[in-house]
Amino acid sequence: MKKITGVRVSMNFDLKKLLDEKILLFDGGMGTMIIEAGLQENEIPESWIYSRREELFNIHVKYIEAGADVIQTNTFGASSIKLSSSRAGAMLDPEETNRKAAVIARGALERFKGRDLLVAGDIGPTGRFFPPVGSLSEDEARDTFRRQARALDQGGADIFLIETMSDLREAVEALRGVKEVSEKPVVVELTFDKKPKGYFTLMGNTPREAAEILEREGADMIGANCTLSSNPMIGLARELRAQTDMPLLFQPNAGQPVLTEGKTHYTQSPDDFAEDIERIAREGADAVGGCCGTTPEFIRKIREKLEELGK
Amino acid sequence: MLQFYEKCKKAVIEGDSDLALKLATEAIDKNKPVLDVIEKGFVKGIEEVGRLWEDGTFFLPELVMGAEAIKKALSLLNPILSDQQTKGFKKGKVVIGTVEGDVHDIGKTLVATMLSASGFEVYDLGFDVGVDSFIEGADKWGVNCIASSALLTTTMQKQRGIIEKLKERGIRNKYTVIVGGAPCSRKWADEIGADGYAKDAVSAVTLVGKLIGGD
Repeated sequence: MKKITGVRVSMNFDLKKLLDEKILLFDGGMGTMIIEAGLQENEIPESWIYSRREELFNIHVKYIEAGADVIQTNTFGASSIKLSSSRAGAMLDPEETNRKAAVIARGALERFKGRDLLVAGDIGPTGRFFPPVGSLSEDEARDTFRRQARALDQGGADIFLIETMSDLREAVEALRGVKEVSEKPVVVELTFDKKPKGYFTLMGNTPREAAEILEREGADMIGANCTLSSNPMIGLARELRAQTDMPLLFQPNAGQPVLTEGKTHYTQSPDDFAEDIERIAREGADAVGGCCGTTPEFIRKIREKLEELGK
Repeated sequence: MLQFYEKCKKAVIEGDSDLALKLATEAIDKNKPVLDVIEKGFVKGIEEVGRLWEDGTFFLPELVMGAEAIKKALSLLNPILSDQQTKGFKKGKVVIGTVEGDVHDIGKTLVATMLSASGFEVYDLGFDVGVDSFIEGADKWGVNCIASSALLTTTMQKQRGIIEKLKERGIRNKYTVIVGGAPCSRKWADEIGADGYAKDAVSAVTLVGKLIGGD
């Protein structure tokens, strides 16, 4: 694999220093907001980068108004591999999609001059698996993530957020792919479930293994998101903190999705969620935010809690 | 003989497809009782894999490798079985798919794999499957059970659609209908009038066994 050189480096901030000063607040669910705003059956969230740009822009603005320091681009499913797996996605050009999404997020930041805000270029899993589960190769994975990262970088992402990875190997390929094309900070979040014997990814990776390998591979911050609601995430925060001195980020779900009368609700209230987040912060998190089911209201409540903590 | 069954079981637990295939060949060559080889050997293996998955010892790779191993063995043994027995090891037929508008097929594929590893005849329609396709498939293959997966709260309404359509055509009682996927629950199954819900691939096998397999 050829190493790509000649990368633009324009870091006017130091992530480590920023995290020393405060607990960084990431935003909440993007898919949740898009579904609420009327995602159609023949669309994927990334379709909106073209068809409902204004709406996406407004979602970013709402999160910033609620107090988020970092907003995530609407590119969770925008790796070339993931896009090609659906009819709606296959119609989109991967490079253009990622670049445009970053530009939209960048645009939202422009509205808030004077605040220290960051755009995180969001990178989700390919949806495929390495052998023996599937047929994905390491080269294919790294290539798709490299392409995504380069486009996000060009669109103006300040940092990269690799998230919801259920396989540490895929997370590592994503991290390597990003680092081949950019020197901007990279955050990696895996998704863990709570099992009778502890916290594990779907592939059986432990928090200890994740911390050790991701640190060695050069991640700037690691953490966990999705699957777990805020309460069991507290225990995971404790366990991960016991394993590493690296900066940690946690973005739990707002409980479990429940459907009543055709509308989706999550089981947790913003207040309960924010209380758990405060406990996660006390366990040693350096950054927090929300995943599925969380909205600007959740982020607002977290911001209030962080202010009480003086963070 | 017990030792032979034990080897078959172990091959599945260790996810060793080559060994499973070799043992299946040996069973046929040496004229061993095929139904017993399956039920007291290979199936015991996949049951143990399921148990280890549930208690958090095994993860997705081990589950998939175990299922692949038993499928390899069954691909050789099942055809022999129908000659030897009037009532084969086949437990029942299931048509399965991820509903229209939904491309999440990992969980669904895993359920299909585990069901076929456990002796059900499975017809996997893939993902983004329309309500009519489920019903056409069920009719074409004469299945006992229609299983649908939905990973989004926006697409899970299609699971209700399957049941409504069956009612509309007056054939609701012809099939056992089950649902699964992250946003689903027992409550959801009750609400839409499905016959069952399973939270993962291992419990799906137990559920289908209870509902149509005569377990």
